[in-house]
Amino acid sequence: MRSSYDVVIIGGGLHGLATAYYLAENHGITNVAVVDKGYIGGGGSGRNTAIVRSNYLTPEGVAFYDRSLDLYNTMSTDLNLNVMFSKRGHLTLAHTDSALRTMHWRAEVNKLQGIDSSVIDAQEVKKQAPSLDISQDTRYPILGALHHPPGGIVRHDAVVWGYARGADVHDIHILQETEVLDIVVEGGSGPGGKGAGGKVTGVKTSRGDISAPIVVNCTAGWASLISNMAGVPLPITTHPLQAAVTEPCKVFLPTVVVSGSLHVYVSQTDRGELVFGASVDPVGTYRVNGTLEFTEELAGHVLELMPGISKMRLLRQWSGLCDMTPDYSPVMGNTPVEGYLVDVGWGTYGFKAGPVAGETMAETIATGRNADLIASFGIERFTEGDLVGEKGAAAVGH
Amino acid sequence: MTNRLPAQPGEVIDRSTSLSFTWNGKQMTGYEGDTIASAIAANGVDVFGRSMKYHRRRGILTADHWDPNLFLQVGDEPNVRAGSRKLQAGMVVSTQNVWPSLKFDLAASNQLVGRFLSSGFYYKTFMRPQFLWPLYQKILRKFAPGGEIHWETSTHGAYDKRYVHPDVLVAGGGPAGMGAALAAADAGASVLLVEHYTELGGHLRWGDDAQRAKAAELAAACEAHANIEVLVDSTVTGRYDHNWIAVNQRSHATAPERLVKARAGVMVVAAGLIERPYVFAGNDTPGVILAGAARRLINLFSVKPGTKAVVMTANEEGDGAVADLERAGVEIVAVLDARKGESIVAVEGRGRVSKVQVNDGRMLSADTVVTATGWTAPTSLLNMGGDRPVYDPVAARYFSNSLPSNILATGGIAGDGSTAELEAHGRATGELAANRSLRRRHDRVSQTARSGAPTWAKPEEVADSRTPLARNPHPECYRSTTHGMVDFSEDVSSKDLVQASKEGFDSIELMKRYTTVTMGPSQGKLETVNAASVLAEANGVEMADIGTTVWRPPYSPISLGALAGRILEPVRRSALQDWHEAHGSTPLLAGQWVRPDQYGDAMAEAANVRANVGLIDVTPLGKLDLRGADVPKLLELVYVNKWQKLDVGRVRYGAMVAEDGVVSDDGVTGRLGEDHWLMTTTSSGAGAIWEMLEDWLQTAHPEWDVHVTAVTGGLTSINVAGPNSRTLLERLTEGVDLSADAFPYFSVRTGKVAGVSDCIIWRIGFTGELSYEVHVPSGHALHVWETLLETGVDLGCAPFGVEAQRILRLEKGHYIVGQDTDGLSKAPTAGLGGLVKLDKPDTLGLPELKHAYGRDDLPILVGIQTVDGSIVPEEAAQIVDGDQNTILGRITSSRMSPTLGRSICLGQVDPSLSAAGTEITVLMADGRRIKALVQEHHAHFDHEGARQRV
Amino acid sequence: MIIVPCPNCGPRNSGDLRPAGEVISRPDPATCSLSEWREYLYMRPNPAGWVTETWYCRGGCRRYFTIERNTATNEIRGQEAS
Repeated sequence: MRSSYDVVIIGGGLHGLATAYYLAENHGITNVAVVDKGYIGGGGSGRNTAIVRSNYLTPEGVAFYDRSLDLYNTMSTDLNLNVMFSKRGHLTLAHTDSALRTMHWRAEVNKLQGIDSSVIDAQEVKKQAPSLDISQDTRYPILGALHHPPGGIVRHDAVVWGYARGADVHDIHILQETEVLDIVVEGGSGPGGKGAGGKVTGVKTSRGDISAPIVVNCTAGWASLISNMAGVPLPITTHPLQAAVTEPCKVFLPTVVVSGSLHVYVSQTDRGELVFGASVDPVGTYRVNGTLEFTEELAGHVLELMPGISKMRLLRQWSGLCDMTPDYSPVMGNTPVEGYLVDVGWGTYGFKAGPVAGETMAETIATGRNADLIASFGIERFTEGDLVGEKGAAAVGH
Repeated sequence: MTNRLPAQPGEVIDRSTSLSFTWNGKQMTGYEGDTIASAIAANGVDVFGRSMKYHRRRGILTADHWDPNLFLQVGDEPNVRAGSRKLQAGMVVSTQNVWPSLKFDLAASNQLVGRFLSSGFYYKTFMRPQFLWPLYQKILRKFAPGGEIHWETSTHGAYDKRYVHPDVLVAGGGPAGMGAALAAADAGASVLLVEHYTELGGHLRWGDDAQRAKAAELAAACEAHANIEVLVDSTVTGRYDHNWIAVNQRSHATAPERLVKARAGVMVVAAGLIERPYVFAGNDTPGVILAGAARRLINLFSVKPGTKAVVMTANEEGDGAVADLERAGVEIVAVLDARKGESIVAVEGRGRVSKVQVNDGRMLSADTVVTATGWTAPTSLLNMGGDRPVYDPVAARYFSNSLPSNILATGGIAGDGSTAELEAHGRATGELAANRSLRRRHDRVSQTARSGAPTWAKPEEVADSRTPLARNPHPECYRSTTHGMVDFSEDVSSKDLVQASKEGFDSIELMKRYTTVTMGPSQGKLETVNAASVLAEANGVEMADIGTTVWRPPYSPISLGALAGRILEPVRRSALQDWHEAHGSTPLLAGQWVRPDQYGDAMAEAANVRANVGLIDVTPLGKLDLRGADVPKLLELVYVNKWQKLDVGRVRYGAMVAEDGVVSDDGVTGRLGEDHWLMTTTSSGAGAIWEMLEDWLQTAHPEWDVHVTAVTGGLTSINVAGPNSRTLLERLTEGVDLSADAFPYFSVRTGKVAGVSDCIIWRIGFTGELSYEVHVPSGHALHVWETLLETGVDLGCAPFGVEAQRILRLEKGHYIVGQDTDGLSKAPTAGLGGLVKLDKPDTLGLPELKHAYGRDDLPILVGIQTVDGSIVPEEAAQIVDGDQNTILGRITSSRMSPTLGRSICLGQVDPSLSAAGTEITVLMADGRRIKALVQEHHAHFDHEGARQRV
Repeated sequence: MIIVPCPNCGPRNSGDLRPAGEVISRPDPATCSLSEWREYLYMRPNPAGWVTETWYCRGGCRRYFTIERNTATNEIRGQEAS
C-alpha cells in the first residue's frame, strides 16, 4: 500500500476490479488501488445468479448491456481465464397478454439495435425448454416468451478473478481487508467541507490514509454509506436479493428461464444444480441471512413452471445486497464533488453490466467526462427528473 | 444376506418382516428397520456408486444421513440419503453416477487424467480455441452428478404445511436434547422436540446397554409428557430472524413431507456432533469407514462391516468400535492409537481395501479401515443466529462464541461429558429456556391488546448459571503425511486445496469458491474442519486464524415440494363467472381475476353493442365506498381534477398521478349522497389505491372525516351498453326515471333493478354508446344478469366479453393506464390537459405536474390510422424515423375496427409528430415499414360523443 | 419473517403487513422548489442502523403505524399508531 495513488477505487468486486483493469489496459493508468473491506468478489459479484443478456427495454439500456455482452464474449481469451460463458439462450416467459405486449415491445426495441431477440409462442417455448409445463389451464399459463439466444450464464467468480489477475499484472494494488472509514473532501458546501462544489483529496482507511485526486465508489449494498462520506446523497434503498441452489440432478434444462409474474429465474449449471433467483425482498435491510418465505415462494413458483421437479431438494440459500434506484437503472459517472465518481445503484443487474461498467468508468476517469454509453445514467437525472424507463422491464429482469 | 450378523442386543431391525427390493436390477431382501444402505450392505455389496469427478468407486463411509457416498436413486426420487432412509418393500434402488454400469464406468477414465481435473482446472483450459468451449461444455453436462427426474410423477401440491408456536423448540433428541425438553416442559413451557433420525436417543442408540436403557427411559418420558410434542424423522432446516424456525417433517402420515414453521420463544440447539473422516491416500476406498459407521452397522442393523480391520482411534468412539468389531467377529489386525501418534499413511485396493500402510512402516493386510479422528460441531443453526464459532485447539473442534438470548446450546455442540453429564446440562438448559420463553410469552400476551392481560405471573428472570460441559482434550488429527480426499461429494482432495492456496486462493471463502470444497450436498458437515486444517497448514498459520465459512440454510436439503406446499394462489371470480363459463366464454386471466374474453366472436359482440345492446361483466373494476363530509378534500388530493362542486347525482371522470407526476390510475367517481360517494379504480390498481387512500387519511390527514370501504367484490358491475340499453333498463328498473332529461349523461341514480334494491346505476360511456353501469349487490347479480338477457331478447341483448370491450373503447379512443401509458408517462402524454387543475393547494405530484406542463419534449398519445387500413400493426410496434432506426414512438393499442372496417391505433409519438395529419413510419414485427397518419382525435369514431349522450 | 408489533393486533408476522418505507417528510407541494420536491421523491438516507418506518397492517386492522427498526440487525423497538 502506497500513501498516494492516482485513483482509489472503493470496492473489490467485479465493477471495481474491471474499472481498475480497463484503466490500465485502455488508458495506461496504473497507479491505482482497489480497496475492499473483505475479500475480492465477496459481495454481489459472488452472490448473483450469473445471468447475462442485453434484451433491455430502453435503447440506452440495450446499447449499454450489449457492449457488456461483447466483452463477455471475448473475456476468456482477453483475460486468459475460462469464465465459462455458456451462451445457452434466455427465455422471459409471459403469462398474461399484457406481459406478452411488453415482450413484443422489448423485442422490437432490441431488433432495431441489432439484438437477437424475438417473441415465441408456447409450443416453441416447449422446444427450448422441454421441462416447462405449457398446459393452459394452470394459474400462470405460459402464453409465450421473449427469446434471446445470446443470453446465458457465466462463472461469476472466474470473472472477478480474471479482472483481479488482469489488474495485478499491471501492478495495480488490490488491498483486501482494508475498510474505507472516510472520504476526504475539501471546499464543499456541506458540513465538514464535503458535498457539492468540493474536491476529493483522498480516503482514510482501516490501514491508514491514502491521498488521491480521484476516488471511485464501486460498492453495492453500502453505496449510500460510502457516498455519505463524500457528502453526496444517493437515490438508493438497500434490499436483500436472495438466491438458492438445488442438489444436482442429471441435466435437463438447456436455457435460462425467467418469469416476471412468478418472480423467479432459473438455470441449470453444468454440474446439474438448478440456480434460482427472485425479486428483491420488500423489506429494506442490510441483513443477508435470508428468509424462509423466499424459499417457499420460490419453490411454489418454480413448481408451477416445472411440476416434475417436486422431489429435487434445495441445497443452499444465500442473499446479497442490492442498491435499488427509483428507475431500475444505475447511477454512474461524475458527481457534484470533483474527483468523486460513482458506479452504484446496480439493483439486480450489476453482474451483467460489470465489464461495460468497468470500461465506461475507466473512460470517464481518464477523460474527465461521462462516457457516451452512460450519458443517461448520471446522478443529475434525479434533480432534472429525466428518469430511465427500465422500471417496467426490470422488476424481475434477469 | 451374507453380511448379516446374528441378533444384536440393540438392533432396530425386525427379522420377522422381510422386505424385498431391487438394487441395480438385482432382487434383494432386507428387514423392516433397515436403512436402504444397511440392507444393501447386508447383501454383501461394497461399492454403492462412483464419485463425481474422478468416478472412483465409493462405499459406505458414515452410514448415516450425511454419507456422501450413499446418494441413490429410489424409484422416481433422486439423491435419496440411503444412509438414513428406511427401507420399504418394493423399492427400486440404483446408483446415480455411473455410465453405463457400476463395474464398467466409461467416465472412470477421468481417473487417468486426474491431474488435469484438479482444482481450477476448468478455468485454465478449454478457452482456446474459443469456439470449442461450447462443445466441451456439452460433454461436461453429460457427466453431471446426481439422480434423474421422472417427469411424469410430480408430487407438487401433495405436501403440507403447519404453523406452531412452541415456547421452546429443541433441535436434537439425544440425551441433552431430551433432558432439555423434559426440564422445559416440567417448568410449564410448551416444547417441540425435533429429532433428525427416526428414533430419539442420538448416539446412545448405538451405545452400550446402559446407554440404550437411558435413551429408552428419556424417550418414553418425552413421549409421555403432556407439554412435549415429539417430531422424529424431522430436521430443523433453518433458523431465521426473530426465531422463525423451519422444520422439515418427513414422518407425516399422509403428506410426503411437511414444512413445519415454528415461532419459538427459545431454540435449544442439541445437534450433537458429526464424525470427521481422516485425510490420507486412498481414504475414499470402499472399506474405509468411520468408527460411528462401524458401530451403527453392527449395533443397529446387525451388519458386519468387514472381516479384517485396522482401527485408528483418537477417542472413545474408536475404542467402542474396537469392542463392537470384536464382538461382531471382525478380526482386528491392528489398533492404531492416535493419542500416541500412531496413524494410517495410506491404503491400497480398488474395489475394496486390501492393504494398509501404517506410519511405523508396517504394511498390513485388511479389508476394512475404521477411523475415529474427531468431530465436527454442526454449528449451522447457531451460525444462523449470528454466532461465529471459534476453534479450540485443545478439544480440536469449534465452539459457539456468542449467542442471542433466544438461542441456547447443549450437548456435544457445547462440550463433552458422560451420559449423565450431558443429560444434566440439557436439563439445566431446558430450565433456562423455559424461563426465558415464558417471560417472552408473557410479554407477547401483554402486548396484544385484544387478548387481555395474562392471568399468570411473569416469571422472575433467571441468570445462566449452568455448569459448562467439559472440553476434553482431543488430538488434532486431520491429515496424515499423504494427501487424500477432503470433500467426498465434490471430489476435492487435500492436494487440490494446497494447490489453490498456492495460486492465491488462500482465504477459506476464496478457496471454497475456487475448489468447490464444502459446496456439495452435505454442505461442509464432513469437510469443513478438514478443509480449514489443510488451508492452515498450507498457509503456515494456526487453525484458529483460518475462520470458517458461513453455514447457510437449509441444515439439510429440503424438497421443493415441501417448501412449496399446496398451491394457494386463488383466482378471483365475479359472481357471474360460472355463468360466463357455462355459456362458452373463453377465460382470460387478468391480474387476480379470471374474466370472459369473448363468447365466440368478439367482432360480432362489438357490432351488436353498436347496433342493439350488450351486457358485460366489469366487476373487477375497483370500487371504494367513501363516506364522510371530507370526501371532496380527499378526491381533490388524489385526483388531478377538482371535485368540490360535483353535485349529488353526478359522476365525473378522474385521473391520478403519483408524486412523481406519472399517470397512475383513473376511473369514474360519483356522488351518491351529500356525504356518500362511490369511487372506481382500474382493476389492477384497486388494492393499491385503497391502501394509498388509507395512508393519506391516517398519516397526513387524520382530521378528515372520511371512511373508506372496499366493495369491489360486494358489488357486481354490469355494463349495459348500446342504443337499446335505455329501453331494456326501463323495462326492469323501478324508482328511477331513465329518460334523457331526468338521467343525463354522467349521472348516477340508486334504485331497484329486476326487483333488486340498492342498485347503483350510472350513466357513462366507455364503449361510446348510450350505456348504464349497474352495480348490483353481488348476491343478486346472477338474477339481474339473467333477467336483463331474457327481457332483452327482442332488443338483441347479448353478452360481450373483454375483447369486444377493448375494440369498442379503442374505437372511442379511451386510453388504458399501463397499456397506453407507461412508467414514465406524465399527464401531458395522456392528454389530460383539460382535466388537470394546478391551482389547488395540494394534489399528488403537484410540482411535477406544473413542471410537466412547462415542457415541450414529452411524448404525446395520439390516434393513429395506417394508410392501408387492412394492416393492423402489432401492439408495441415501433414508430421510427423513415428508413432510419431512430425510435420516435410506438403503437400502444391496435385493433381491426368492425365499425369502421379498418385498423385503428393509439400510440405514443415524439411531440414533433403529434400534429394531426403527420405521416409516420411504423416498423412491423416482420420488418416491413408502413405508413400511417396521426389523427386529430384519440377517438376514431364519434369523437363528439353524440351516441353516448342521447 | 420478522415480527412486527401492530399497536392494535399485537406482534404479527411481517408477511401479514406491508412495509411502507422510511418516514420521509413531505415538503409543501404548493410552495416548495422542484429540487426540494425531487429530494423528497428520490433521495433516501438509507442508513445501516435505526430507522423510523411505516408499516400497514394489511391482513389485520388496516392501520398505518410507525416502528423503529435497526436495518443492520432487524431489531425492533417502539411503535406508534400514526
